[in-house]
Amino acid sequence: MTQTRWSWKEMMAIFFARQIEDGDTLCSGAHTEISFCAAMLAQKSHAPNLRLQLGGTGYLCNLAGRPVLGGVPKTSVDYRIAQWAEAYFDHPETFFFYGPPGGGRRYYEDRSAFAGHNGYFFADHFFVGGLQVDYHGNVNLIGLGADGAFTMRGPGSVGIGDVITVRNMFVFMTAHDPRRFVPKVDYISTMGPSGWREKQFPGNGPQWIVSPLGVFDFTGEGMTARLRGVFPGHTEDEVAGATGFPVARSELFGEIEPPTAEELALLREQVDVNGVLGGIPGGRPPGLAEREGAGA
Amino acid sequence: MTAADERGPAGRPARKEVVVTAAEAAARVSDGMTIIVGGFVTANHPMPVVRELIKRGVGDLTVIGSATAGLEIDLLIGAGCVRKLIAPYVGAELYAPIGNCFRAAAENKEIEIWECSEYILYAGLQARAMGQEFMAWRGGVGTSIPELNKDLVVFQSPLGDGKEYLAVPAIGADWGFIHVGWADAYGNGQHVGARFGDRILARAADRVAVCAERLVPNSYIRRNPVMTSIPYADMVIEAPFGSHPYAAHGFYAEDAEHIQAYVAASAAYRKGDRAAFRAYLDEWVTGPEDHDAYLEKVGIRRLLELEREYAGVSLGRHAPEGWPDAQI
Repeated sequence: MTQTRWSWKEMMAIFFARQIEDGDTLCSGAHTEISFCAAMLAQKSHAPNLRLQLGGTGYLCNLAGRPVLGGVPKTSVDYRIAQWAEAYFDHPETFFFYGPPGGGRRYYEDRSAFAGHNGYFFADHFFVGGLQVDYHGNVNLIGLGADGAFTMRGPGSVGIGDVITVRNMFVFMTAHDPRRFVPKVDYISTMGPSGWREKQFPGNGPQWIVSPLGVFDFTGEGMTARLRGVFPGHTEDEVAGATGFPVARSELFGEIEPPTAEELALLREQVDVNGVLGGIPGGRPPGLAEREGAGA
Repeated sequence: MTAADERGPAGRPARKEVVVTAAEAAARVSDGMTIIVGGFVTANHPMPVVRELIKRGVGDLTVIGSATAGLEIDLLIGAGCVRKLIAPYVGAELYAPIGNCFRAAAENKEIEIWECSEYILYAGLQARAMGQEFMAWRGGVGTSIPELNKDLVVFQSPLGDGKEYLAVPAIGADWGFIHVGWADAYGNGQHVGARFGDRILARAADRVAVCAERLVPNSYIRRNPVMTSIPYADMVIEAPFGSHPYAAHGFYAEDAEHIQAYVAASAAYRKGDRAAFRAYLDEWVTGPEDHDAYLEKVGIRRLLELEREYAGVSLGRHAPEGWPDAQI
């Protein structure tokens, strides 16, 4: 693999930001610096009309043209989030605002029919982290083990099994190895896309698995995982060796463009101002400027 | 608060004042009860009561955490107060992805876990608050949650569309402990900033106590009754910096160094070395005589730093030209 001039966290954040369109709704879901920076970057670059619930505080935020004071929020209830808020609702109300435009499945099958609709609902995009993800896109935050016993207890399912109207769930994994990418998860916190169809949920559920190495979609038979692309500096063999289920190319397999100079500049100068993604320093505090995992 | 217009005519009963100390509040909780602890991850936890519960050695509790419960619950577990946990997450995100004491207790089968997700928790609380036996919810269908939690019952939609739902039974509690910004002596609590899930948590509890950053006159509450998020609290505890080491929206930032020290002590606990955790408890929980002594130990300089850190961002003190003046 080759040395890159950006960190894997920056690459993931930029990849996510590219999938977010202007006018979409996004709830950032699980907190990591990667998902927060992705949403912030999208709104500051190409999606100023992104309807953004940043974190679990229930703040609806718009960062377009606004500075990031005090650095990227550290938790999903970080008070720093309030600096961009235009609206607020109590966290339980999140679940009261779920219904997609038109009701039922129509929005997911033909978004163009709802172009003039208010379109505020939860949500076009949502980030989901996992201890394990499997070939079918099932995600596990409950723990490792069987029959209610745990060799390793996870943090719990949070809300990832509740968000049944989500159009596009990004399953993101911050490490890629056969212990995390498994044929079948030990416990299911939220189902993969075939499960969502089988149970007749309104939304689509997981549409992507994204790791530091590359990206899967669910275009395989029975909505199973297929390799959509690898990040610059990584190879298909590397992904196959790190994955516990069969790795085959998606019909949509293609090259993932490296970060552009403009994307990196915006990300580093106006979003990740304290360098939490571990990119190349530009006047950062020394301790935060480590090139964590850069191209390695 | 003692204004004449709030007193009835001579001879009639006066309105009841409910101000107590954290120790008095904790004394109302006995072994085997169910309690609710408000806040969210690293913000707005009623810490003086949490510490007093541990100090009293209350045990066998069923503890209901918030929809993203933080290390205040991990602390109760590590201190041995908890028999059963009802929460869809215990941790502190970037500080600690999984609560260490929670993880150890779950792996060693030292606690029972009522497996759930965020809205399954809220559905149970809502059912209790509404006086219903259960709420119907589609989230969680097809997951391991109803397999791990036999209280959740999968049923077919009565509308005949073939869809499955979960019946989430009502969840109640003996006491709910909630952190607020300010409260008056009569039990009117007002959040100053985000309220998270605190209102529904309070509504599901038989009795509610609020820890308030400031005790204020009733006239102050009456200026904006719309802000009263927790009315009729049964107890009010005055506790400045009462969420420390966690943040209080409207007041101060979380104490990252203290949280990291807790995480280090609890990580040792998980690996079997309980001495570091006991040392944390001795120093910060059972050691200080009361909340004031705790704050004295944290130190005025540190507390002011946390206020300034909050104000620096939320009041825009370091903001560029044209930034709004106040952002509470």
